[in-house]
Amino acid sequence: MEVLQMLFKVLLFPGFLFLTSYAFAAEYIDRKLHARMQNRKGPKWYIPFADFFKLIGKQTIIHDDAHAGIIKAMPVVSLAGVATAFIYIPVVGSSAVFSFEGDIIIVLYFLSLPVLTQFLAGWYSRSLYATIGASRVITQMFAYEVPLFMCLLAPSLIANTWSVSGITQYYSEHPLYALINLPAFAVALITVQSKLSKAPFDAPEAETEIVSGPYVEYTGRPLAFFRMSADCEEVVLISLVSAIFLPFLSGNAVIDVILYFVKTLAILFVLTLMRTVTARLRVNQTVTLCWRYLVPAALLQMIVNLIVRGWLA
Amino acid sequence: MDLIRKASQWASGKSPWILHFNAGACNGCDIEVVDCVTPRYDLERFGVVKQGSPRHADVLICTGAVTLQTRDRLKQIYEQMPEPKRVIAVGTCACTGGVFDGCYCVTGGIDTVIPVDVYVPGCAVRPDEIISAVERALSLKTDGEGDKK
Ligand code: SF4
Repeated sequence: MEVLQMLFKVLLFPGFLFLTSYAFAAEYIDRKLHARMQNRKGPKWYIPFADFFKLIGKQTIIHDDAHAGIIKAMPVVSLAGVATAFIYIPVVGSSAVFSFEGDIIIVLYFLSLPVLTQFLAGWYSRSLYATIGASRVITQMFAYEVPLFMCLLAPSLIANTWSVSGITQYYSEHPLYALINLPAFAVALITVQSKLSKAPFDAPEAETEIVSGPYVEYTGRPLAFFRMSADCEEVVLISLVSAIFLPFLSGNAVIDVILYFVKTLAILFVLTLMRTVTARLRVNQTVTLCWRYLVPAALLQMIVNLIVRGWLA
Repeated sequence: MDLIRKASQWASGKSPWILHFNAGACNGCDIEVVDCVTPRYDLERFGVVKQGSPRHADVLICTGAVTLQTRDRLKQIYEQMPEPKRVIAVGTCACTGGVFDGCYCVTGGIDTVIPVDVYVPGCAVRPDEIISAVERALSLKTDGEGDKK
């Protein structure tokens, strides 16, 4: 019974099936909002599914210079990393499927996997555009990863726990303390956008310069899974941010699920707004933004949180 | 497996990704192709996304008569696209060579280099005609079922 329940949680809800369906829905909402903000009609609701299944049915071309093993393996590794990270993030209420002291580190580690796979995929595609895209991916990663880690770890200083569920639990009991973390929340939103390589941080995939960066040579199934894993990554990241920075829970499971959707969709709205109103930054501008402004802000947040913690103790 | 094949068959008409290639057009037709993605026509309503890489594209939209400079590149781009793929010749020049036919540096219409599925004549074509051509190209089940000249 125990095992069955666990399997249900990991595979169906709130596990893999929920993640992938919500990921497609999130892509639709993102594209629709983006279109509405540009005064367009936007796609129909089934378009993300259609994109996925169409790519599944298409021919897969791997050209002679490329490394076939890596090209095929990377999308799966990326998707696996993202899906594993998701089971440590609370969806209903404050308890994730699995949790232990320190799982926030695991989540951040698993969320770095898609970026590394993007890099390897681009590098082993052996195409000029893909190589440039890959080097931009890795440069950008060194820019946003540090402020992202810092601003996600800052709230855990007050909560005095290193597990995502623990942090949510603590802040849902003391919702007012969440206000202290507002600057970190802002930093988190910007760095999450950067991690998803969406405008203004879409230099790795800049269509007008390097076609589509690391994905240039991708076709068929591998491309389908890469796109799916990018959608899932978005959902996992917004769930993580909402679990840490928007810890408002009611205690009732149904209302909590509704609250989860309200919170994640609100974050998705902000991310879409950001991508609509901004233009692309160059990689060096991204690095400057992250290291000159976001890292000091996150550092300040950590110091403030340490003081608050000392004061509370 | 059968279910997945059915799903991808259903999906293939629902999400056409287009690639735009200027084989030597006067830029008139290209402006009209770009018009399709503006808010007034908004091709994304039908799931059409403009892609940069031929590897991602389902439909190749060609404009202009093929010049000697672009002939090999056009062939290369066509070969880089994964199956199943469709080609639309947009504009009178792309269909027959148009006003440039017989010019010393021109080989003629798109179909002198690669097989074309749908022809859209006009100088320049209207965006709504391009939209209906994309829909038509996707409704074709097999190669060689498209327009005959
Ligand atoms: S058909 Fe007319 S508008 Fe189009 S490329 Fe030819 S000359 Fe230009």
